[in-house]
Amino acid sequence: MAADPTGTFFEALAKRAHEPLLQGASGTLRWDLRNGRRTDHWYVTIAKGGVEVSRANAPADAVVRADKALFDGLATGRVNAMAALLRGAMEGDGDLGLVMSFQRLFPAPPRSVYARRIR
Amino acid sequence: MSGDLVQILEGNTFVVSDRNGDIEASPTDATGLFSFDTRFLSKWVLTIDGERLNALSTDDLQYFETRFFLVPGTGTVYIDAKLSVIRQRVVGQGFSEQLAILNHDDKAVALEVRLEAASDFADLFEVKDALKKKGTYSSRAERGRLVLGYKRETFERETWITASAPAKIDPNGLTFKVRVPAHGQWTTDLQVTTANAGWGANNAAPQKRRPSMARGLDKWIQKAPRLECDSDSLRATYHRSLVDLAALRFSTRTMPGRSLPAAGLPWFMTMFGRDSIFTSLQALPFTPELAATTLLALGERQGSRVDDFRDEDPGRILHELRYGELTAFEERPHSPYYGCADATPLYVVLLDEYERWTGDTKLVRGLEQEARAALNWIDEYADLQGNGYVSYRRRNEQTGLENQCWKDSWDSISYRDGTLPGFPRATCELQGYAYDAKVRGARLARKVWHDPELADRLEAEAADLKRRFNRDFWVEDEGYFAIALDVDGRQVDALTSNNGHLLWSGIVDKSKAKAVASHLLGKRLYSGWGVRTLAEGEGRYNPIGYHVGTVWPFDNSFIAWGLRRYGFKEEAARLASGILDAAQFFDGRLPEAFGGYPREMTRYPVQYPTACSPQAWSTGAPLLLLRTMLGLEPHGDHLIVDPALPRGIGHLELLDIPGRWGRIDAFGRGRVDVERK
Repeated sequence: MAADPTGTFFEALAKRAHEPLLQGASGTLRWDLRNGRRTDHWYVTIAKGGVEVSRANAPADAVVRADKALFDGLATGRVNAMAALLRGAMEGDGDLGLVMSFQRLFPAPPRSVYARRIR
Repeated sequence: MSGDLVQILEGNTFVVSDRNGDIEASPTDATGLFSFDTRFLSKWVLTIDGERLNALSTDDLQYFETRFFLVPGTGTVYIDAKLSVIRQRVVGQGFSEQLAILNHDDKAVALEVRLEAASDFADLFEVKDALKKKGTYSSRAERGRLVLGYKRETFERETWITASAPAKIDPNGLTFKVRVPAHGQWTTDLQVTTANAGWGANNAAPQKRRPSMARGLDKWIQKAPRLECDSDSLRATYHRSLVDLAALRFSTRTMPGRSLPAAGLPWFMTMFGRDSIFTSLQALPFTPELAATTLLALGERQGSRVDDFRDEDPGRILHELRYGELTAFEERPHSPYYGCADATPLYVVLLDEYERWTGDTKLVRGLEQEARAALNWIDEYADLQGNGYVSYRRRNEQTGLENQCWKDSWDSISYRDGTLPGFPRATCELQGYAYDAKVRGARLARKVWHDPELADRLEAEAADLKRRFNRDFWVEDEGYFAIALDVDGRQVDALTSNNGHLLWSGIVDKSKAKAVASHLLGKRLYSGWGVRTLAEGEGRYNPIGYHVGTVWPFDNSFIAWGLRRYGFKEEAARLASGILDAAQFFDGRLPEAFGGYPREMTRYPVQYPTACSPQAWSTGAPLLLLRTMLGLEPHGDHLIVDPALPRGIGHLELLDIPGRWGRIDAFGRGRVDVERK
């Protein structure tokens, strides 16, 4: 596992010019990740499938709060975002639809098998 | 549900209580206040001077409102009929209950009124399986309210109880010391609020009560097309369907103010890919907005990754969504669970049918990516055997579903001799849906997405699938389609109602359609009320077997559509007539399934016992049958009306049918003789 899966995730995301999975979404999503005593802020602005990642303060349409450790899990596929939302491990306010779109970007759980191989 | 239980609901919040309005749930007893798949009240018991009350009558005013008339004393002899008590309960976010005590005596009376309250915060799945809780409970009186709580790590649920009259609140309930004047009354408004931690759940201010729910129902019915006809029972069935469909509406947190059909009331008040799509298709000519919301909500939750626990793949449309504790802690996969093989092609079918009716190209353009991903899923992820057919086998072997087609019971897919095939299974209707999805996807690609290349490719694939299917699934010596191909490519050769879905999908060669239609209306499949799921004479046939002999109204409505598609108007009318006759026996509310006994034997349809009523796709069946009887079919910006009605229906008008043409009326007169020949 990367030393900082969260950082790696956002860096990789920043490099993607276009993300078809986010085609239908638009708005700015702010992640507030509790990391020991400080809170890291990540801003993701989505417009017609284009993605911008920033750490600069900006108004957000949705804010999600979670432990950075949880986001490390999301970024590596070990944690499911929708289940985390249900159990309150992730919480927040604003446009939940934006979060639903964004969670499509999280990778598959490490041990899952591509269906065709079960033949 | 037992007849003694009263249930009312709004969205996915519902209350099941006894006839007094009391709730006394045991871990396995399914009474209580439920919301988001969690029980928020497992005890709610009213006493006066320590005595339970006795029900005189219970009025279900609306599906969201009930009134209980009670008197003190629990025996058959009323000890004191000088008091009467009225509890009027409305479900909203939790419920509100107006409690009124009327003193009929000419002396004032002092009473101690007590409401005992508690909650076990059981997950709906726990209610079924009686599992032990892992979190901790709390109960406290604070700032004029009783707060019942449950906490497991970050998972928190609370129930807040308040009263408008002064009350002494303790951790187990509320006590009122009241004095009711002679010939006077005392009332209080109780509010029970369900508070979910989590998203946006600074639920501090409960949503304001909605006194307009009754008005909302009136508006819903007024907006739907009006049915005028000679048949009283058809009018009643139509009205029942509209009201039940209103009750089955379900909203998600991402789309407040919009609703889609949930699968069944009360235990399946959630999004199911298959049920929501089939019901939206049935209701399309009547309430097209349900289809729009279904498409948006399912699209929003479309699979994006390979996840074995959830049987998820990129592009796959969900099977079932749940919100309870077991789902939250990944002890159940419903966040959402994707294990069904038909919802994904059906998603494309609904998208196209929606556009044909409404002309809402904006929505179809907005869901282009979702539709492309769904079409891609068919070839890339559903062809488990690499043989060009959709098949299924679960990857979650603990809590996933074995059968991922609509006939999802263990014995539904069998050979004639009753033996069961292994997995993966390629059931026939899945190939039909895949074919239809490709044909319709091609139309959308050409007309809306302006991608003629994709359209050409999909059309070529569809033609190839149809050719192979008619060769590989056709049971030559009998003249029908096998229900499935097994792992070895051998036909699973029982005769089933699935043949009707094949007609609906259009995958059947014209030259074979007549033989298929004859089987559907033949003695082995047709009971006189409807088409049986499995034909009489097959190894597993049982007239009261869930998917192996019962008649499903939903199934029949799609078979009727299929018959119309291939020009069998009179056969479709006969099918419609049988199902609508059956509806009369259930006061217009068709059950999920009824027995496959021959009509001349039982003379009335024998209901199959199920937990949920109404069931969405049974509610939708009369609507689709109206469409097929009237022969309603969009053609460009026009609606074609080509009626073929059973004689018994007489004159029929369906007025103000919404669509891309604005609003249009359809008329017909019963001329088809449906008596069995």
